[in-house]
Amino acid sequence: MEMTQTKKEQYEALLLEEETVRSPLSEFWRKFKKQKLAFVSFIIILFIFVLAFIGPYITPYDITEPDYENVLSGPSAKHWAGTDAYGRDIFSRIIAGTQISLFVGLTSVFLGAVGGTVLGLAAGYYGGWVDRIIMRICDVLLAFPGILLAIGIIAILGPGLGNVIIAVAIFSIPVFARIVRSSTLEVKSTLYVEATRSIGARPSRIIWKHIFPGTLSSIIVYFTMRIGSAILTAASLSFIGLGAQPPSPEWGAMLSGGRDYLSMAPHVTLFPGLAIFITVLVFNLLGDGLRDALDPKIKE
Amino acid sequence: MKKAYVRFGLLLVLIFSLVACSGGEEGEKEVKKVDKTNKDVTIAVSATLTGMDPHDTNDTLSNSVQKTMIEGLVGFDEEMNVIPVLAESYESNEEATEFTFKLREGIEFHDGTPFNAEAVKVNFERVANPENGLKRQSLYGLIDTIEIISDYEVKFTLSEPFGAMLNTFAHPAGGIQSPKALEEFGKDVARHPVGTGPFKFVDWRPSEYLEVEKNGNYWKEGYPKVDKVTFKPVTENGSRVAMLQTGEADFIYPVPTEQVEALQGKDGIVVDSEPSIVVQYASLNTMKEPFNNPKVREALNLAVNKEAFIKVVLNGEADVLDSIIAPNVQYYEKQTPYGFDVEKAKELLKEAGYESGFKTTVWGGNSSTAVKAMEFLQQQLAQINVELEVLPMESGTLSDRIWSVENPADAEVGIYYGGWSPSTGDADWGIRPLIGGEAAFPPNSYNVSYYSNDKVNAGIAAALETANSDDRAAAYKIVQQEAWNDAPWIFLATTRTLAGKRDYIEGAYLLPDNSLSITEIEIKE
Amino acid sequence: MLKFFIKRILEVIPTLLIVTVFIFLFVHMIPGDAARLVAGEDATLEDIKLVEKELGLDRPLHEQYISYMGGLLKGDLGTSLKTRRPVSEEIGARFMPTFWLTVWSMVWAVMIGLIIGVVSATKRNKWPDYVGMFAAVSGLSLPSFWLGLVLIQIFAVQLGWFPSGGMESWKSYILPSITLGTGVAAVVARFTRSSLMDVLKNDYIRTGRAKGVNEQNIVWHHALRNALVPVVTMTGLQFGFLLGGSVVIETVFSWPGLGKLLIDSVAFRDYPVIQAEMLIFALEFIIINLVVDLLYGILNPQIRYD
Repeated sequence: MEMTQTKKEQYEALLLEEETVRSPLSEFWRKFKKQKLAFVSFIIILFIFVLAFIGPYITPYDITEPDYENVLSGPSAKHWAGTDAYGRDIFSRIIAGTQISLFVGLTSVFLGAVGGTVLGLAAGYYGGWVDRIIMRICDVLLAFPGILLAIGIIAILGPGLGNVIIAVAIFSIPVFARIVRSSTLEVKSTLYVEATRSIGARPSRIIWKHIFPGTLSSIIVYFTMRIGSAILTAASLSFIGLGAQPPSPEWGAMLSGGRDYLSMAPHVTLFPGLAIFITVLVFNLLGDGLRDALDPKIKE
Repeated sequence: MKKAYVRFGLLLVLIFSLVACSGGEEGEKEVKKVDKTNKDVTIAVSATLTGMDPHDTNDTLSNSVQKTMIEGLVGFDEEMNVIPVLAESYESNEEATEFTFKLREGIEFHDGTPFNAEAVKVNFERVANPENGLKRQSLYGLIDTIEIISDYEVKFTLSEPFGAMLNTFAHPAGGIQSPKALEEFGKDVARHPVGTGPFKFVDWRPSEYLEVEKNGNYWKEGYPKVDKVTFKPVTENGSRVAMLQTGEADFIYPVPTEQVEALQGKDGIVVDSEPSIVVQYASLNTMKEPFNNPKVREALNLAVNKEAFIKVVLNGEADVLDSIIAPNVQYYEKQTPYGFDVEKAKELLKEAGYESGFKTTVWGGNSSTAVKAMEFLQQQLAQINVELEVLPMESGTLSDRIWSVENPADAEVGIYYGGWSPSTGDADWGIRPLIGGEAAFPPNSYNVSYYSNDKVNAGIAAALETANSDDRAAAYKIVQQEAWNDAPWIFLATTRTLAGKRDYIEGAYLLPDNSLSITEIEIKE
Repeated sequence: MLKFFIKRILEVIPTLLIVTVFIFLFVHMIPGDAARLVAGEDATLEDIKLVEKELGLDRPLHEQYISYMGGLLKGDLGTSLKTRRPVSEEIGARFMPTFWLTVWSMVWAVMIGLIIGVVSATKRNKWPDYVGMFAAVSGLSLPSFWLGLVLIQIFAVQLGWFPSGGMESWKSYILPSITLGTGVAAVVARFTRSSLMDVLKNDYIRTGRAKGVNEQNIVWHHALRNALVPVVTMTGLQFGFLLGGSVVIETVFSWPGLGKLLIDSVAFRDYPVIQAEMLIFALEFIIINLVVDLLYGILNPQIRYD
């Protein structure tokens, strides 16, 4: 359909209006800084990111070089977190493992978010049978606890970190799809989308330019919250032997290897566990803070 | 409110340091003293039992439990020698085609059915018949006819010579069940075991426990000496050990190798560590480059420090493997170990044209020990620039990618880490399935190094064609020498059987095949 | 309301049908030779072929699906390949341990979660709120297998107060239910807090306060009742997921439940058991959704269905 001059003006005016309404970055920053816990978490996360990049270069010891004369020694001045079953420095391995956990968490949630957002936008915008099919599939996927789904997927694809990422991504999809769908419905019903629609903009443009930005805050909050659980799931999968391959210093795998020494050398499981805990914790705290600052309607 | 964070943080730190410290004191930790007042014994085992029909069972653990209730004509002693059980005596012809057993008289099954030649015939006809679809059919498939000579004498005729048959009779799968029960329950005997053993079946809840009680009518005078035995599947290693420490279990097996040192001799706990017949090895696909080069195989053997392997992976609870079979297997012949010599290994690789090493992959199971072993190999082979990728797989994947491969040329496997326990205790079952030439290639059997040596094949065949021990020993001697020198494996270790028990328990022990014997179990004051 | 339920139940049927096809294909897509696994580690090819025939695994896949569905319609879940016992028995034996563990975990988790949530909401932005919420986030962030191992290390191995695994007496429930319930308690606490805070902003609460109604009374009698609606939903869903059996925690504590069974069955490619378990998860999910809807109606009569 051809756009008449006036309609085009209307449309641009709408866009302009949208700009002024939607530039709450400073507003957000003001609110976010108030969330002290989240702010501190954010700083720690920055630190974790830095560690992820430089970690492998700053480890005090080689992370794969064994020392059979010095196995399972407890924490000491020389080895802050002790050594593992091969005499490798656990502290060094935890540092080097940061990038793995972070990579797994971020990539899997990112893939899940992309997939879920596309599906959610489609379901919410088009409605009808598209909506029904997508949501039915999501229901089926949601009917199984995430880790079981992941075990099934890995059983099919084979073990390994790459497949863990895929598995975690797949079971993140339905959750994102649902959240995005409901925000889409909300945004869709607002006036300006109705208006753009009536002046005949292409659906892809409406979705991308108008609806997607409106759902973004929900996505960001959920994304942050999901990273923590993705890291946990990946670690659980490594723990039951379906994740990282040796000699990778993936935290869950380190923990799994240390489980056999629980009573004689608890430090082998203690420190990687702490690393997982702290990382997941700061992401969750950040997610909480973002939620409060952005205030989308996400309860969990 | 900032104080609150600090307080909370301190609390966390406190908890974690408590955990850390508590571990440090492990050595001096007190194990609960247990007063044993009754005659009931609890045994914690490592897996769920699969069934109580010995003809239809293929795991040593279930076999062990069956043996408390169901006995065979012959059995194994502590060193895996064949001993008479329900048979008083036995003999065979020189060609290893006829085996005659004289049975003990006056024995009754738990349900009162008399034990006699007829019962023996019924049992072996059942297991040997392919139509019954029993898992142990192939062990007894060679039996052609079973002849009742008298009420207490029975003769088996085989369709072809099989020198290892006596050991096959001693295998737990040769257990004799009550013919009446077999008829009454059909396939359901797996849940209603009725035999002649020292204990009678009481109750079984697969995921929780299996309980047996004293057979007051047992034929061996004075046994059993306890009233009740309960087997509990406890898959998690730590939990099993803790049960022994708290006295919830009187006997556990296996004890995880990591815990042996911590447990041994601590307040009333004893760990029995004995050589097993289980071999651990890394097989090399001799049909593929670079493993088709004998120098490479020798180099790999030289590059691995076997003592360190035993120390790091098996916590010292193993011995260096010095033949293709373990010392407790019949006809074992010690070979000269390869030793540990990185320089020589590098030289050999150079001679073979791999001066700068190569890249390859090791496959294996995904148990924590298997993963640890493979990671160790990775570290060792790095010394001679062999870059090893470790690929742990679960059993289902292994079955697809290794054992079900139809065409040897399609086999992707390079190095495979695994173990083998020849459940009959005879050299044949320790050698033939693993290196027995083309006939043993997957999917037929387990020759995953795709190794075929005419001398080995001939020796294996010759040893089966006679029941004469000297002839068999001579044949297996050549087989072992050849296989050792050709090195189709990286020879690693033979593990030890590890049973943990309270010091008041006596007469319970593990056989070298990791099966349990509790016929003589008793509680000492 | 009855009409609504009938409609909902009828809606379930197509979903269930999709679920069965999905499950069947999914399960058979897992690579692995079930007959070989059942036959055992040192089985000969002869044995394996025998087992394959015995178990009907040599038939084409669509035939297997038809006989599976045929059985299912008659209420027959099939026979376990591994133990050759009816699947219903296998699952029946594992269901109760998981069920009771779930119940006990939920009982304490909901109690603790509610208390923390209510305290946090009423003392908003004061130190009890911060500590409570920090504890809740920590609870969510703990790797449960690690928590289980740490608890075993302290309370079973060191102190010897509780058994480290198995299911013997009431004592056996303590450590696993703490491990399992921690995450739930955290979720309940957070939910209760946010939900209660929403309600406390409402007009009728303000009116009540203005009228001088005792604050305790407001919170416990008026606000909480309404705030509970979303909490109940969420608790129901959590209950459903826990009922599936926690694979990891049941592994750590050797708990003879459904999660452990699933792992064992996957390792063994025990198709009928895996299928049945997954079907049960799906059913549980659906039933719990129904129950939650019903509770909604009872707790908050404003939400009634036409």
